[in-house]
Amino acid sequence: MTTVEADHAVRTAGLDKRYRRTWALRDCTLTLPAGRVAALVGPNGAGKTTLLRLLVGLLAPTRGSVEVFGQSPATNTATALSRIGYVAQDHPLYRRFNVADLLRFGHACNLRFDRGLAERRLAALGIPLHRKAGTLSSGQQAQVALALALAKRPDLLVLDEPLASLDPLARREFLQVLMGAVAADGVTVVFSSHVIGELERVCDYLVVLNHGRIALSGDIESLLADHRLLVGPRTANNLDHTPSVIEATHADRHTTLLVRDGGIPPAPGWQPQAVGLEELVLGYLRLPAPDGTGLAAEDSEDAA
Amino acid sequence: MIWLTWRQHRGEALTAVTVLAVLSAIMVAVGLPMHASFNHDIVQCIDGSAVDREVCSTNLAVFQKSYGFATGILTLLNVLPFLAGALIGAPLLARELESGTWQLAWTQAVPRVRWLVVKVVALVTLTVVLAGAFAALITWFRQPLDAMYGRNGLDGFDVEGLVPMAYGLFAFALGTAAGAVLRRSIPALTLSLLAFVAVRVTVETVLRPRFQAPLTLVENIEAGSRGIAIGTGNRTDWTLDEGFADASGQRLARTDINSLDDAARDAGVNLATYMHDHGIQRWVDYHPAGRFWNFQYIEAGIFAALTAILLSAVIWRIKRRAL
Repeated sequence: MTTVEADHAVRTAGLDKRYRRTWALRDCTLTLPAGRVAALVGPNGAGKTTLLRLLVGLLAPTRGSVEVFGQSPATNTATALSRIGYVAQDHPLYRRFNVADLLRFGHACNLRFDRGLAERRLAALGIPLHRKAGTLSSGQQAQVALALALAKRPDLLVLDEPLASLDPLARREFLQVLMGAVAADGVTVVFSSHVIGELERVCDYLVVLNHGRIALSGDIESLLADHRLLVGPRTANNLDHTPSVIEATHADRHTTLLVRDGGIPPAPGWQPQAVGLEELVLGYLRLPAPDGTGLAAEDSEDAA
Repeated sequence: MIWLTWRQHRGEALTAVTVLAVLSAIMVAVGLPMHASFNHDIVQCIDGSAVDREVCSTNLAVFQKSYGFATGILTLLNVLPFLAGALIGAPLLARELESGTWQLAWTQAVPRVRWLVVKVVALVTLTVVLAGAFAALITWFRQPLDAMYGRNGLDGFDVEGLVPMAYGLFAFALGTAAGAVLRRSIPALTLSLLAFVAVRVTVETVLRPRFQAPLTLVENIEAGSRGIAIGTGNRTDWTLDEGFADASGQRLARTDINSLDDAARDAGVNLATYMHDHGIQRWVDYHPAGRFWNFQYIEAGIFAALTAILLSAVIWRIKRRAL
C-alpha cells in the first residue's frame, strides 16, 4: 500500500464537474506524483478552484473519479480529511477568533494537529497569538492559514491562489515558509495561480488548465526539454494543424512556432530556441476553446 | 467541537441569556404583587366562595386596571421564542458561507456531517433551554390570569407550557435552512420570519381549532331574563363560536338575530322571552379548558415534526454536496 501511495499523491480520471447547466471541468485526467510541488495555472474562470475543491472533498465530481493517496476525498472521512491541508482562496479565517483560538480550533478538529509547530512558526513570523484574526494584515492572515494547514501534518497541501492578495514582500515570505515546510516534511503541494513568473522558482510540476480542460501537465524540466521555439521566414502555410506545432505567431518577416517535437533537427531555414516557462504556458493558454464547452466562471461560482 | 460551537455562538447565547434575565426580573417584579393581589382579593370571587359581590366587582376592576396591560405585553412576547431560535440558527451556516470559512471548517479532520450534527444538537439544546425557561417564567406569571381569563389565546396558550420550545426549535430550523439556501444571515433571518409567521398563523387559525372536535353546548333561553348569557359559564373554556338556533336546530345568521330583536319589539316583549317562546336556543362551540395540555402536545408535536423535517433536509443537503 505504501508503495502505491508513494507513487501518486493525486490521480483523477475523466473528471467532469457541472454546476447546474454550466460545465466547470471537462474530462480532466491528471496524475500528480507524490513529493512534487505542482503549479496549477490558468486564467480566471478556467476551473482551478473547482479542481482544487474536488481534490479536498469540498465538491463531488459530476462524473469521473478523484483519488488522493488512493482514497476518494468525497467520502469525507476523518482519515481522508486529515491527510489533506487546504488553504482556500483569500485564506478565510474566523475573523473574531484570536490566533490562539484558531490554533485551538485546529487542535480540536484534527487527529494529528501539531499546535507547538504552528506556535513556533507564527512566533518566528512575529504574529502574536492574542491578536484577532480580523485585525491581522492580509499577509499575516495568509501565514496563519498556512500554519493551520501545515500543523495538520498533511500529506497533500492544496492552496488556492495563495499569493493573489499579498504584496511582493509578503509573497516572498509566504513562499519561503512554504518551501521550508516542503523541505522539512516532504509534503506534496498543489497550488493555483494566474501569475507564472513566481512559480518557476518553487515548482517542479506544471498543470495548465484552460476552458475547464487540462491543456498540459507534466514535470517542468521535461516539458521545457520537449518544447522549443522555431524561428523561420514568414510562411503563409497554416501550421496550426501540424501535430507537433502548438502555436504559430507571425511577425512581419518571421514566423515563430512553438513546437513539441522532442528536439528533432528542424527543417532547413528554421532556428531552434529554448522556450521559457511563461512562453510555454501562454502558448497553451492561447489555444482556442474546444467547441461546445460553456464554462462557469469559477470566481462567481460559490460552493453550490 | 463543543468548544468550537460555544466559541462561535457565545455572542448570541449571551445576548439571549441577558434578555431572558432582564425579562425574568421584570416578570418577577410585576408578578409577585400581582399574585399577592390575586390571592388576597380575587381568588374567592372566582371560586364562588365570596360573600360580597360588590367588593368582588371592585376588586376585579382594580386588578384589571393594575394588571390588564400584562395581556398586551404577553402577546408581544410571542416574538421571543422566534428571535432566540432564528438568531441562533440563521448564522449557523450562513455566516460560514458568507465569510468563506466553510472551506476552513470542512477541510479539518471532522467530516462535515458530523460537524453539522454536533452543532445542531448543541444549539437545539440551547434553544430548548432558553425557550423552556421563558415558558416556565410566563406560565408562573400567568397563573392568576389563567384562572381568571383562561389560557387560550396569543397571550396564553402560545407563551405557556410546551409550545414556546417547539416554536423556538422551528425558528432555529427555519433560520438554519434559510441560511443554507440564501448564504447570508440577514436575508435568512428575514425569510425565516416570514415563513414562521405564515406557518404559525395557519396552524393557529386553521388547524388548532380542529385538533379535537369541539364540543357544543345548547341551552334554552330563560324567559324574562334581562340579559342573555354568553359562553359556557366557565371563563377558562375556549369558545370558538356562539350564536342562536331556531326550533328546528337551524343556526341563525347575525341578520336573523337583528330581525328577531325587531320582532320582539313589535310584539312588545323582552327579547329573551320572545326567543324562549319561539323555541330559540343558544349554542356555543368550544373546547373545554381541560383540553389545554392535549392541545399543547399536538401543537408542540406539529412544530417539532416540522423542525425535524427541515433539519434533516439541511443535513442531507450538506452531506450530498460532496457525496
